[in-house]
Amino acid sequence: MAFLAVMEKEFRMFFRYPLRVVSSVLVGLVFLVQFVYFGQAVLGGRYSSILHASTGVGDYPTYALIGYVLWWVSVSPMEASVWGIRRELQRGTLESNVASPMGLLEMVVSLALSWMLMDSAIMAVVFLTGVIAFGVSLSWVALLKALPIVGLAFLAFLGSGLVFAGLVMVFKNIGPFAQIFEFLVLFISGVFFPLSTLPAWVVSLSKLIPLTHSASAVRKLLVGMSYLDVTGEVTWLLVLTPLYWLASYALFKWAERTARVMGYGGY
Amino acid sequence: MMPSIEVKDLKKSYPKRISLPFRRVEWVEALKGISFKVRKGELFGLLGPNGAGKTTTIKILTTLLEPSWGSAKVLGYDVVSQAREVRRRINLVAEGERTLYWRLSAYENLRYFASIYYVPKDEAEKRIRELLQLVGLWERRNDLVMGFSRGMKQRLAIAKALINDPEVLFLDEPTLGLDVQSALFVREFVERLVSEEGKTVLLTTHYMAEAEKLCDRIAIIDGGRIIALDTPENLKRLVSEGETVEIRVRNLRPEKVKEIDERLAVSEEDPTHGTLLLRGNLDEEDLPRVVERLIRAGAKVLSVERVEPTLEDVFIKLTGRALRD
Repeated sequence: MAFLAVMEKEFRMFFRYPLRVVSSVLVGLVFLVQFVYFGQAVLGGRYSSILHASTGVGDYPTYALIGYVLWWVSVSPMEASVWGIRRELQRGTLESNVASPMGLLEMVVSLALSWMLMDSAIMAVVFLTGVIAFGVSLSWVALLKALPIVGLAFLAFLGSGLVFAGLVMVFKNIGPFAQIFEFLVLFISGVFFPLSTLPAWVVSLSKLIPLTHSASAVRKLLVGMSYLDVTGEVTWLLVLTPLYWLASYALFKWAERTARVMGYGGY
Repeated sequence: MMPSIEVKDLKKSYPKRISLPFRRVEWVEALKGISFKVRKGELFGLLGPNGAGKTTTIKILTTLLEPSWGSAKVLGYDVVSQAREVRRRINLVAEGERTLYWRLSAYENLRYFASIYYVPKDEAEKRIRELLQLVGLWERRNDLVMGFSRGMKQRLAIAKALINDPEVLFLDEPTLGLDVQSALFVREFVERLVSEEGKTVLLTTHYMAEAEKLCDRIAIIDGGRIIALDTPENLKRLVSEGETVEIRVRNLRPEKVKEIDERLAVSEEDPTHGTLLLRGNLDEEDLPRVVERLIRAGAKVLSVERVEPTLEDVFIKLTGRALRD
């Protein structure tokens, strides 16, 4: 299977830079600690009844930890599209892949999936460290219950991230442009503060972001709520996922055709 | 018999510049309508200077680029509408050394490319072993490519290009930048692929001796057009025997050469000794007059020699320029 080969290659190359692996975990932890302490300082403590009233989760470290870990994973397909394809271009290996029967679409999806799984592994370490460091109480049952929602969220993240795969093939260096989106998503999808604090139009906009719904659903499940309590979020994810995949596919096909006219190289 | 490669009136233009705010696009014509056929089991060469359109042709034939006009078929499949069918049956050694993953070992690289060419696992293992032995890298199979010399990387790139046992192999400047020994290895290897395994090979090069030695037929390409296509022997017949002259001079600037005689071109430039090697197709009567003009222009004529015509002389005769220009 070609996609397994791409994933194996990406994992091998990632873990051949041990410093990069360790640094990724440390960067994840450094940002988490800063955000949690900053949030607690603003709230005046770790528990907030306002937070609980608007999101169902009153414990700030729990709230921030879940949102932060999901945000990190949600932007990794975008990162894979922007930096992963760029690296292939810089290495000179992109054309070797494109000229194979695997084709570009399978390669890009496999690349995005690999990066998402690698980031998930890093975030699993960050999450466990966060749970221990901040004394977050979680049950295994709740974690298992959240897994299907996490799976659905991953599908949505992949679809939205692949929009950028098309863009990078045509415009090549879109790193800073993609970073604007990454931080915009962090800001308006309720990762560190509840959406109720934002203007109504921003809240409406945030509904279009899969992370908004997946973070909300996973938080509710991890604090012991049932699937019935997350039907709204799941419905949004089920609607957004095919829409993002369709948009990504259309944009990707346009970009692939453009790249075949202008050339893949010339980075 | 169906040709392995069939190219008809192929044209390709690239957008050169998008100048904002007017969004004006200038198109550069890399190919201006080329046509040729390559027979099964033939070693066909595209010879031309840098920027002649050789790589563009290879990129179109390997489905990496779409032509602006015309058509191209590989093994009967259209390179645009049947790209996937073409990709299954061909492979490519691209120009440059960075076509492999340097952070993977030789073995891991081949296993990766075997997978993306859908080579069954058992068959892939057997073929990887055979190929690594064939290119002399079996002992180094577990070493990372980043530690390989340029020649070793190129040998591995060739092994990579054979991983799917392609019917047609495209080689874009396969000996560029290689040391003499590695270049010799590559040339002999390519010859064996055609003579012993019956592969069809399309090779681009700007090394005339390489094209002359290896290729059954050669298309000389310049400025996006094929200006001659034949066997090396027939191409050389375009230049009459005894007509080719080599003149070594000192104290002459290369840009002055055409002012002295249009038929002369700079074949070699030696900045250390300040000499130029000029080549041209001059008959008995013209030669003394040209030498006289060189002397009058202030050049010191070091030697004048009649030589056997090469493909470079054909190129000079057809374009008025040496291949290096």
